Amino acid sequence: MQKINKNAVLALLSLTSLVFLLFQLYYYKFYLSQKNGSFFSKVRGSQSGQDSTRWHVVRKFLGLISSHNIPVYLIDPLILGLVNKDIEQIRSSPDGPSPECKYFCAPRDFTTFALVDKTWKQDVSLFRAAEKMGFQWLKIINKDPRLDGMDDLSGIEIPLHYIFKLASHAIHLVVFYERSGNYLWHGPLRLKQHMDRKFVPFRKLHFGRYPGAYEKPELLLVSIDDLKVQIPKNPSSFLEEMSHSRFLECRYREARAFFQLYPDDASLDAVEFRKKAKSLLHLAASTLNSLGVKFWLSSGTCLGWYRQCSVIPYSKDVDLGIFIRDYKADIIPAFQKAGLPLKHKFGKVEDSLELSFQGDGDVKLDIFFFYEEDDHIWNGGTQAKSGKKFKYLFPKFTLCWTEFIGLKVHVPCETLQYIEANYGADWKVPLKTWDWKSSPSNVQYNGVWPVNEWDDVIQIY
Amino acid sequence: MDEWKPNPAVKPHKKRSWYLAWKYKLMNQRALRKLCQTGAVLFLLVTVIVNIKLILDTRRAAYEEEEESAQDYDDEMLNVEVPRHPVSNKKVLDVEVYSSRSKVYVAVDGTTVLEDEAREQGRGIHVIVLNQATGHVMAKRVFDTYSPHEDEAMVLFLNMVARGRILIFTIKDEGSFHLKDTAKNVLKSLGSQVAPFLSWRDMWTFAGKKGGEVYGEKHAKSPALSTWGDPVLLKTEVHLTSVEDAECHWPDTELNRRRKRFCSKVEGYGSVCSCKDPTPIEFNPDPLKDNKVFDVPVAVIAGNRPNYLYRMLRSLLSAQGVNPQMITVFIDGYYEEPMDVVELFGLSGIQHTPISIKNARVSQHYKASLTATFNLFPDAKFAVVLEEDLDISVDFFSFLSQSIHLLEEDESLYCISAWNDQGYEHTAEDPSLLYRVETMPGLGWVLRKSLYKDELEPKWPTPEKLWDWDMWMRMPEQRRGRECIIPDISRSYHFGIVGLNMNGYFHEAYFKKHKFNTVPNVQLKNVESLRKDAYETEIHRLLGEAEVLDHSKNPCEDSFVPDTEGKVYVMFIRMEQEADFTTWTQLAKCLHIWDLDVRGNHKGLWRLFRKKNHFLVVGVPASPYSSKKPSSVTPIYIEPPAKEEGAAAVPAVAAAEQT
Repeated sequence: MQKINKNAVLALLSLTSLVFLLFQLYYYKFYLSQKNGSFFSKVRGSQSGQDSTRWHVVRKFLGLISSHNIPVYLIDPLILGLVNKDIEQIRSSPDGPSPECKYFCAPRDFTTFALVDKTWKQDVSLFRAAEKMGFQWLKIINKDPRLDGMDDLSGIEIPLHYIFKLASHAIHLVVFYERSGNYLWHGPLRLKQHMDRKFVPFRKLHFGRYPGAYEKPELLLVSIDDLKVQIPKNPSSFLEEMSHSRFLECRYREARAFFQLYPDDASLDAVEFRKKAKSLLHLAASTLNSLGVKFWLSSGTCLGWYRQCSVIPYSKDVDLGIFIRDYKADIIPAFQKAGLPLKHKFGKVEDSLELSFQGDGDVKLDIFFFYEEDDHIWNGGTQAKSGKKFKYLFPKFTLCWTEFIGLKVHVPCETLQYIEANYGADWKVPLKTWDWKSSPSNVQYNGVWPVNEWDDVIQIY
Repeated sequence: MDEWKPNPAVKPHKKRSWYLAWKYKLMNQRALRKLCQTGAVLFLLVTVIVNIKLILDTRRAAYEEEEESAQDYDDEMLNVEVPRHPVSNKKVLDVEVYSSRSKVYVAVDGTTVLEDEAREQGRGIHVIVLNQATGHVMAKRVFDTYSPHEDEAMVLFLNMVARGRILIFTIKDEGSFHLKDTAKNVLKSLGSQVAPFLSWRDMWTFAGKKGGEVYGEKHAKSPALSTWGDPVLLKTEVHLTSVEDAECHWPDTELNRRRKRFCSKVEGYGSVCSCKDPTPIEFNPDPLKDNKVFDVPVAVIAGNRPNYLYRMLRSLLSAQGVNPQMITVFIDGYYEEPMDVVELFGLSGIQHTPISIKNARVSQHYKASLTATFNLFPDAKFAVVLEEDLDISVDFFSFLSQSIHLLEEDESLYCISAWNDQGYEHTAEDPSLLYRVETMPGLGWVLRKSLYKDELEPKWPTPEKLWDWDMWMRMPEQRRGRECIIPDISRSYHFGIVGLNMNGYFHEAYFKKHKFNTVPNVQLKNVESLRKDAYETEIHRLLGEAEVLDHSKNPCEDSFVPDTEGKVYVMFIRMEQEADFTTWTQLAKCLHIWDLDVRGNHKGLWRLFRKKNHFLVVGVPASPYSSKKPSSVTPIYIEPPAKEEGAAAVPAVAAAEQT
């Protein structure tokens, strides 16, 4: 009898482990599929790929914020992408009932909204009401960058992001701040140590990896999926903006350290030059922006931004870079119209183009055009009297936004490489004598312009 | 798994189940049975291994996911957790109080909360208020009761302290000379036995609960007029009460939560912390119709005078048309109590690390505050600048709303100020009247962003220059001939008597009798005539209509101006060139108005009121309005008194007092 029992036990055990093994395999497979992104459809197994939870959460959230008079707008890139396809129809019938849930029912972890800080009086009652409705919420605060540049102000911490979670869906509310330079800024999302890292899958957020800069959008009230919501009037341009919205803060702390080593020039001449350079840069920016030409701070102006967050007082000019693919023939007349006569033009569109305009009182605006190659980017220089050509090589870079003397402007995101290419590893040491033909560490001799082209490629006014 | 298939060769027979039959068969086939058993054991082992591996894999994957999910979003500055002080559940505090001629100190549980051994400072009675539940210091004051009136201030303060608080007193040097009976009685009512008999140069320490028990008292009599009593050291124990007992039970609202936080930290703010009938901390004044300054940021410049700040913010938040969201309080230094006051009112405050010393410190604080204001409100074209020692008139914003467009449109304007330097009780009359003046009064004013950003900020005095910011702003290099608009009756009132350049005597002489508007919704008259050219027309009209006073009389006498009402009079004084203010200064002196430097002039013309008549003073021949002088009239000249040694230095210092 004992032997029978032993066998039975063995058999039973084996059977259990078999079942267990199968279960584990199933679970593992499920886990892998979840990791690949289609979490919700698998979990809930809804047949149509629709997710009414999301719609309900969004509706609740919109109800909550409208009862507190908070003007949020939708910036969720996935929804705006869908909306953009039907934008004509949505615009023409803003109140029409929707036959099906097209936008807010795609299963996602998040829906993203924006809030402009000054339109909202930070009110604790909102959070209490949210809790009552069943939302869990998380507030992410950090230092106020608008006070970062200031010596020794204990910046208050400001809310940068809010996350409201209900059931399996979360609302990501990005707080935008107006900053000098007439633009909106949102901060990065950084978790402090005590925060719940698993509150939501933070990696999937569309906003918050980097800070970003945006134009103030025009808004449009629409009704989609029977929800009334504000969206940017032009979703496609918003999405375009979003794709390269990354913002770099000036390195104020390093700038302060720099000024400790090399005290700032506070002479009247320096004040005067800075004032002129500032107004010249503002004028150049508005001219180029109205043409839709993308430009960035280059050479000395870029160095000034990166090293000391201000104009280098002895630099005597303002330098901008433009990709040659963005070149427009209107640039010269537009500047002339703005009161900046052309001083010289070197090179041609196909090669080493460089424009120089005369600003107010000796301050010059230099525009260098950059040519992209497979593994580097370069711009050209020309010596007027000899017709010699020079080439300045830079590693490839992308463009980021920053704020500089009251303007939102582009700088190379990879600023350090850009500056080191141009000024060498010793860029931190101020140099008052600078020869553009020999001082830059990335200069290469590039031959001589053929004499018969001189009239075209060396124009001095 | 195949092993587990029943042997196909074996067929169940009869009614016995296949299982039993099969088992029976197996039992009879030893070898096969052994094989099956080994197989099963092996299989079990494999399952276990696979299981373990799966578990490990899943866990690792889950761990990685978790790591990834947040690592991009970690705050790069590793936030070092602030070590929390263990909440002491101690019920008893050891208190030490020391009183002597040259040093006082108070230690609570071994922590020194007051220590003063500075020479020639801190004379009088030091008072410390402790929270009876936590033992935290809520207020620290010193009343120099050797000097007059300080005992009244002490009584006022002690009356404001809530019942149940722990009060600690100690005398440094001398504290009895001007300690009147009223004050002594208050001390007696707190339980002091010695207070009524305190006398010259006695040393005294006392600790007790307001309206409750006495923890201890020590006293050392001064043996002779020329000597001090021996130092005394009081050591005693204080039993803490529970937090609930120490707090009021206000209804649980957002406002009361702020109030509670405030009242559990600081003392000396009177009825705001009263349990029964607390004074409101939200004022909801009437909104202004068509408010043009609703979106103008308001910068309140503050130091460490929290009681002043409290009074100032109350009046500011009670002014019609105020927008609390636009208010930022800038505190010069990391002081807690001013910040508590700011938070009590639900405003935002920013602390500023002090740079430099004295006047330069104030000047750097101003610069930082103004820059921060325009950074925080990048859309703003203007900023209102206020200081912590000002009362704000109820129609302050109405006044600005009606006049701010001038600052936007008229390039010849430097500022709008709420303060009339010459607007005293006896020289200001008309709340609807505005002037243009060549001086910059400050004390509640509006600054244009372009002026700040383009002109002032880049060349603001650097920290090593010990300049007053306002004196610097008044310099011709900065002002460049531009003028400020001011009201006849000031919309701010300077109540501060403690300050960098301020003392009680000075305040009494120059600020106390300043007129302050309390009428709401004043409709300003003739705002358009304040524009550059229109103002000249207006002045000429006024002078044309004005009656010339009898120049043979003494202008300092009251009878100089007839006993009329609502008339316009003009007098002419000697003023050889633009900077000759000899007669004016003497006239200002005898009229008891601001005479420490020249204020309130417009092209050699001063406008004020005397006996409810508009009173114009024209400097001849420097003023362009001299032509209005009838040829028969000789301008009045008043000789300055003979100069005393060092007298010249006084106005220079005093001029700075204005702010």
